[in-house]
Amino acid sequence: MNVRIFPFIMLAVSSFLVACEKDNYEPPKSTLSGRVIYQDQPVGVRTNGVQLELWQRGYQLFTKIPVYVAQDGSFSASLFDGDYKLVRLRGNGPWVDNTDTIPVQVRGSVTVDVPVQPYYALRNQTFQRNTTNLTATCKVDPVSTTRAIERVTLYVGTTQFVDANNNAGNINLTGTALADLTKNLTFNYTLPAAIANRTPLYVRIGVKTVGIAELLYTPVQKI
Amino acid sequence: MKRIHSYILAAALALSTSACKEDWLERQPPNIILENQVWNDVTLITGLLANYYDRLPAHSQPDIGWQEYAAYDEATWSGNDDARNNIISYPFDRWRLWDYGLIRDINLALENIQTYGTTLTAPQKTQFSAELRFLRAYQYFELVKRMGGVPLVTQQLIYDFSGDPSPLQQPRAKEEAVYDFIASELDAIKNDLGNTGSNTRANKFTAMALKSRAMLYAASIAKYNNLMAAPITLPGGEVGIPASRANEYYTKALEASKEIINSGSYSLYRANPNLGENFFDAITKKINNQEVIMAKDFLTAKDKRHSFSYDNIARNIREDNLSSSNVTPALNLVEAYEYLDGSSGELKNRTADDKDFIYYNNLSDIFANKDARLYGTVIYPGTSFKGAEVQIQAGVMVWNGSTYQTIESNTLGAVHTDGRLLTGSSGPQRSQTEVSNTGFYLRKYIDPTPLSSTRGIRSDLWWVRFRLGEILLNASEAALELGQTADALTYVNRLRERAGFPANSLKTLTIQRLQNERRVELAFEDHRVWDLKRWRIAHEIWNGSPSNPNTTMYALYPYRVIRPGDPARDGKYVFVKMVAPRFRAPRLFQLGNYYSSIDQTVINNNPKIVRNPFH
Repeated sequence: MNVRIFPFIMLAVSSFLVACEKDNYEPPKSTLSGRVIYQDQPVGVRTNGVQLELWQRGYQLFTKIPVYVAQDGSFSASLFDGDYKLVRLRGNGPWVDNTDTIPVQVRGSVTVDVPVQPYYALRNQTFQRNTTNLTATCKVDPVSTTRAIERVTLYVGTTQFVDANNNAGNINLTGTALADLTKNLTFNYTLPAAIANRTPLYVRIGVKTVGIAELLYTPVQKI
Repeated sequence: MKRIHSYILAAALALSTSACKEDWLERQPPNIILENQVWNDVTLITGLLANYYDRLPAHSQPDIGWQEYAAYDEATWSGNDDARNNIISYPFDRWRLWDYGLIRDINLALENIQTYGTTLTAPQKTQFSAELRFLRAYQYFELVKRMGGVPLVTQQLIYDFSGDPSPLQQPRAKEEAVYDFIASELDAIKNDLGNTGSNTRANKFTAMALKSRAMLYAASIAKYNNLMAAPITLPGGEVGIPASRANEYYTKALEASKEIINSGSYSLYRANPNLGENFFDAITKKINNQEVIMAKDFLTAKDKRHSFSYDNIARNIREDNLSSSNVTPALNLVEAYEYLDGSSGELKNRTADDKDFIYYNNLSDIFANKDARLYGTVIYPGTSFKGAEVQIQAGVMVWNGSTYQTIESNTLGAVHTDGRLLTGSSGPQRSQTEVSNTGFYLRKYIDPTPLSSTRGIRSDLWWVRFRLGEILLNASEAALELGQTADALTYVNRLRERAGFPANSLKTLTIQRLQNERRVELAFEDHRVWDLKRWRIAHEIWNGSPSNPNTTMYALYPYRVIRPGDPARDGKYVFVKMVAPRFRAPRLFQLGNYYSSIDQTVINNNPKIVRNPFH
């Protein structure tokens, strides 16, 4: 009796296996990667904060694929081959709204640079650490003056992820300190006791525009 | 023999066919109730209304969504996962609601009661219609506070099968238009509602309570949105209310509140001379409670009950062998309760020069002379529930000659080598689940009835949607914004007097003061996140910055001191403030959270719907 049942069990089990192979799709193999750039330089943002969106028409399911921008301004997504539309989400990044669609044809690996126009850009940043004191300078470059500047902040962190939400200490420049943007800005920061003796530290400067949630940052620097 | 059989068969068949012709197919279906049966039977209509009341949404109430009490700055999560302690940022769809199913059911009911209700009297029709319109206004308020302006659908939409659905696709109304609709509906029906004295079905004062709240929301959006450096608006007005309308809305909120306050039908609950217990009773007592305007009721006898007590009762008095202690209030909330002399509620655990602890004789002494509402809301060290002490002690501190050595145990109720208690049977514990992580437990809405925290019995405490306490705060805020400061002080001081403050305890009033008053009075009543949104301060208070004390949830751990030879300190209690050990990510509320995102399928089905800002 046992011997007779066995083939049926085998049949049942093997039919499961066959079904599995038939039902499933291949995982997407093509990749779309690129950078968010201003004047050919990547734009630094908060990690896991800013997103671009990808849309693909022609299928019953029409919903966006969010693509998060890494803190160095790069992004990537695994996709199926096809024609996509890349959109800069309004009010999402530290740049002027631009809803022009960028068509993207994905066939294998594709690299796309997404140009943006920030409200304020940061240049010529320098960082100097003198044991427990940190001196930093930078120049704020108004690109689009449709919105006022709110503050410029120096962030210090203990990991390579440094931004408004991941930091161990920060110091702000606001108000009159930002009255004349033609001059270099200078930060003098006494490190908090908790991190004063740590090496290395990671530093970054961010600029906040009024009414825009995200900041634009300089690249992370190890000191 | 065979012939006889066939004759009988033939006869039987003939008989059955003849029966069919008479009435077999004309029977009333036993499992379907027809429209004309429903709309002519008061009992059936009431049953239907009960269903609609039950479907009114809330973000967090004891039967649905209560877990989210731990997602803001009232509490942390001490249950079995870390999701609510580790919210990197609130997702844009977090408060999304697009329930037009309920709107459609109500619109259908309003039409059918007129069409089919032949034997109902005219007053009955008017009253039921008014109640249905109240429910629809309530639902629209829930929609507008989450999504901004939504399509105002007030009658059934019927598809004509022409292949063109565009007549059914309605655009979003302006945000102010939805609030105006709510106000005009409530004014129109308030005298038709009946149900006088009921606190579970809508009556005139329930309608005014909803109007008071809705108008206050509209007014504060009109004022505070436009005070932002960059107001959140859409070009079509679907989001954002012009600043010029703020005064009008505040006036309406004040008038609606006054109608309730001056009616004499409601009074603050003051039956219990113990002020802390009294505040607890004010929310939980169902009998002779003149404070509650409308509640969602539960009843064990009818199997309408919830597990809120099972999930949130303090650990050492739980009656079941699982769960308990999920939502545990944070030190942030506890410190928001002021001292009765009007000073800041910050707990004094260190000496002024921060060199040593302050030593207390009893665990509850550090909370002495605090706002009585703290006792009614939170179980703190040294207090009892259901007649049993909730034993909260993190460990002992042993003096080794120069510093204190902290000893804690992973065993609840463990005894130290000196034969006295080491760690309380209710914790707190740094990493264990289902024990408080903050050193506090919830009291508000926990059922004191025996066995109500077991899975077999559960609790039938009601959930208060509107009570006079909130209306007084609404009136106070509206009066303050309208410049009627004397009235504003009268309203808020009445509430503070009930909490143990002396008469006229506040002499001056600011909006920040009122914001804190709302926080402590209405904690765990589904107000905090909505209040912060309408004042447009949520993105500042919860800005995700690790150095901002408002974004991080704190704990208070009590220790018994062992320091032989120093009678001023030995055997006393000290308190340590710390970031709640299981708390991970600072609260981050982004500008895109003020209005929730609309589901893409909704936009795909109706291209006239515009997206909310930032998404």
